[in-house]
Amino acid sequence: MHDAGYVAAGYTLTLGTLAAYRWHLAVRARRARRYVTAVTGRARSGRRRR
Amino acid sequence: MRHLYRALTVLGSHRAQRVMGVATLAGLVATVVIGLFVVPPDATQGDVQRLMYAHVPVAWVTFLAFGVVFIASVGYLKTGRIQWDRVAAASAEIGVLFCALTIVLGSLWGRPVWGTWWTWDPRLTTTAVLLLIYVGYLSLRKVADSPVRRARWAAVVGVVGFIDVPIVHESVVWWRSLHQQATVLRLGAPTIAGSMLATLMLGFVTFSLAYGYLMAVRLRVGRLEDRSAAPVSSLSAPRARRPRPAGVPAPAPADVPASVPAPALAPGDVPASAPADIPTSVPSDSHA
Repeated sequence: MHDAGYVAAGYTLTLGTLAAYRWHLAVRARRARRYVTAVTGRARSGRRRR
Repeated sequence: MRHLYRALTVLGSHRAQRVMGVATLAGLVATVVIGLFVVPPDATQGDVQRLMYAHVPVAWVTFLAFGVVFIASVGYLKTGRIQWDRVAAASAEIGVLFCALTIVLGSLWGRPVWGTWWTWDPRLTTTAVLLLIYVGYLSLRKVADSPVRRARWAAVVGVVGFIDVPIVHESVVWWRSLHQQATVLRLGAPTIAGSMLATLMLGFVTFSLAYGYLMAVRLRVGRLEDRSAAPVSSLSAPRARRPRPAGVPAPAPADVPASVPAPALAPGDVPASAPADIPTSVPSDSHA
């Protein structure tokens, strides 16, 4: 059971890294989208508006 | 080449992204639950072997990501299309993340099994070199001053740097290594129990999906960032109008009546509306 700490740390780190990178990409996308919108005056996110 | 790029474009659609995101999340939950609670512990290593269900698939995704960098770099050098550079940059970033994760997970496994966090074993050393190569690749992208030069330099490093990937994979065969030899990606049957192999396969699928999902999101961010880095004039330029059909005259400016034809000017004449400081003739020595 002593090894459980290493296993828990490994899985926590893996999932945490993936989640943190996804969050980092969301922040970058929001920042770039905000800049483009400020310059052009219209939202051009690549996301189609319905 | 064209098919690969089209596949990446399809992956970039919002619906595909959402489906991949949900599938990745479900796969991660399943891998963690099965890897931690369902599969029996290893006979010799005990519970710590459960780290392999993350470590090995993460290492596989590292190879996959750098393989995509290689293909996209070749694509860029062949066609000069900036889209290939965008794919290479996205895949390199994700590859670096997974490569670092591979080393950390291996280290967490090595401490209880080998008794050390790190050793200069051939597999570990070549993997560290691989990480450094692609960190250098990303750094190079930051220092290049023009997009074309950045893409060309990065593509060359993306092609040359890939040489280390087969070296990493074969390092346990070519040199005496503390690291165990391949159990799945080898000639002949895998040397692993059925339930463990199934969990490992689930890990391969899950982390490959995670790579696909992150690639799709990262490509979208790359497009947006390229747009925000473009000159302001190109961002705010109005859309080009449709070409005027033949026979339709151009609309006259609001302050000029369309019915009054402009008088024909002889050479040397100055229109009445011209400013007074314009010379009536150009001095002959002005061309000298």
